[in-house]
Amino acid sequence: MIQLVINGLAMGAIYALIALGLLQIFNAVRIVNFAQGQLLMLGAFAGFTTMTQFALPVWAAYLLSFAAMAIVGLIFMMVAYYPLRGKPFYLVILTTIAVGIVLENLVLIYFGPLPQSVPSPFGVDQLQFGSVAVSRHVLFIFAATAVLLLAQWWFMNRTRFGRMVRATSLDMEMARLVGIRVRYTVAVAFMFGAMLAGAAGLLVSPLFLADPTMGGALGLKAFVVSVIGGFGNLYGAVIAGLLLGVVETLAAGYISSDFRDVISFVLMVGFLFFRPQGLFGEKQSERV
Amino acid sequence: MKTNLNLYLAAAIAMCFTSVTAQAQVASCPNPIGIGLSTPLTSGVALLGIQAKLGLEDAVEQINAAGGIGGKKIKLSIEDATGSSTTALNTLNRLLEDKPVAVFSSMISPHIFTQNDTIKKAAIPVLIAGTNGQLMKQKNPWLTRIHVHDGQLAEAVPHYVVDTLKKQRPAILTVSDDYGLGASKALQAVFDKLKVKPVAVESYGLNDKDMTAQLTKIKNANADMLVLWGRPGDVALVMKQRKALGMTVPVIGNSSAVALTTLANLTAQEADGGMGIGGLFPQVTSDANSLAFAKRVLDRSKIPADNFALGYRDGMYLLKGAIEKVGCDPVKLRDELHAIKNFKGLLISYTADKDGDLAHTMGIYRNKGKVTELIGTVKEPGF
Repeated sequence: MIQLVINGLAMGAIYALIALGLLQIFNAVRIVNFAQGQLLMLGAFAGFTTMTQFALPVWAAYLLSFAAMAIVGLIFMMVAYYPLRGKPFYLVILTTIAVGIVLENLVLIYFGPLPQSVPSPFGVDQLQFGSVAVSRHVLFIFAATAVLLLAQWWFMNRTRFGRMVRATSLDMEMARLVGIRVRYTVAVAFMFGAMLAGAAGLLVSPLFLADPTMGGALGLKAFVVSVIGGFGNLYGAVIAGLLLGVVETLAAGYISSDFRDVISFVLMVGFLFFRPQGLFGEKQSERV
Repeated sequence: MKTNLNLYLAAAIAMCFTSVTAQAQVASCPNPIGIGLSTPLTSGVALLGIQAKLGLEDAVEQINAAGGIGGKKIKLSIEDATGSSTTALNTLNRLLEDKPVAVFSSMISPHIFTQNDTIKKAAIPVLIAGTNGQLMKQKNPWLTRIHVHDGQLAEAVPHYVVDTLKKQRPAILTVSDDYGLGASKALQAVFDKLKVKPVAVESYGLNDKDMTAQLTKIKNANADMLVLWGRPGDVALVMKQRKALGMTVPVIGNSSAVALTTLANLTAQEADGGMGIGGLFPQVTSDANSLAFAKRVLDRSKIPADNFALGYRDGMYLLKGAIEKVGCDPVKLRDELHAIKNFKGLLISYTADKDGDLAHTMGIYRNKGKVTELIGTVKEPGF
């Protein structure tokens, strides 16, 4: 039981990490980015390129990967969001899905279908607590999730730029009238969103390998987590992520692994029907 | 000396005769000789599908460089079947529009089940590597299989676990698709015949990334052997997570447990001790021709050739031999493929059985760290 809960929390931390990136973009432009999973996949391949192919030290590889993901975020905004701003939101959502498919296939063409391993800064060893084993890398994921959550909270609530992002998300026209450079604000939000996805990719790839198709399922889980946690709410995303990870793992452990995804999506549908604002969110999930 | 001279003379005459016969038979073939390939090059199963392309491309290049078939070059058309059976049906239809002499289809069994009726209507030989045991029981006379199938493997693995490794508490973990669940049922049936009851039977989704819940159950069931059945990508994940959970239960499975494409993503600690039974790997041998084939594939694609690449390479040579013998008439070609006996491939001999299955030899492999060793071969009874 304890081992299953630990496994579930590890998976949940990963869901939460992906959801944080999703929410960064949502909190800026009120659009759900369905390519967030593919951005995570790009982050994983950035890690593979910098750590395995360029053989850079971990700190340099991480920095370079973050920089690459920031550029990807900017290009993503210019392709998937900017030309469609002001258009019905579903058009932007459909475009993010299409761009996700394009990204997946570009990576497949360039890197090939072989999954690629990305080393963990903490190796493959695990810590043993009685009969319970926890890998060092999973502990790193817990720590990184906590740090990124705090950093994102600080950024959104304690910096001028965070306030600009929030103002932009509430009313873009009004934000522009009061002198906020909306285009710049949105661009930086997309860059941060992509960097968070990249961080998630870097963190999960030592466990799950870097694989061109890895983003689809993980991106959808981030969406489920965001709905359950309450769209736009950072703590909600983390708590819902951890909760979903544990529920899924216990279901797989005690009922059947076949029900793992069923439970996630039934939970999401349940929340959309009975509590669309999620556990901690405001009443805005109906827009999703 | 005189005897040797006579022998050389006889051999030369025989070669000339064979060549003349081949040219006469191939006269009935189009020029170039069109061959199609429907295989997944994108999606989650691309890792498998691309092996068909690599094996066939190498064979076609080598055959064409040596003058083709009876002087006619082979033209290989390749279509991406993706992971979808519907797309696989569409790609087959596109390939058939060019009126190929024969088509190779993929190793993804649901693709071939979907293509079955179209293949019957097209009435041309189709060579496949789908491993579902039921594929060749569909009474489709146009199918020929060039790779060992689950029925053979599911028989061999439990016997090896119980009879050779002397394990009595196996657990089964498979991917939960047609491939894995079919294998799981077959494995359980053979264990049952051997009077051994698996202590846990688990599965995971094709796109699942976290298998720790299933592994924890297996750990708690105190299994003494893990029988693991999946594709290289997901098998690598299971082996990584097994290590991360501190599990020491030995692993045996299909060839994915020992494939180079799996080992490339594991550390020596994660890979060590894993065993697999399946089609033969072209680089785990001392055979110079097979090693040269593996090197050419790696140089060309940066992807290590696996058992499927070898099977498709051999399949092309099988087809070449059959065309040289009977020409391109579809019925004669099909009958010739179904009458093949002791055709020497790179590492195994191919003999057709009554269902149209040509491969009956499997390799038993073990990982020593990240290096795969061949520890023996096993043949289907009767071959």
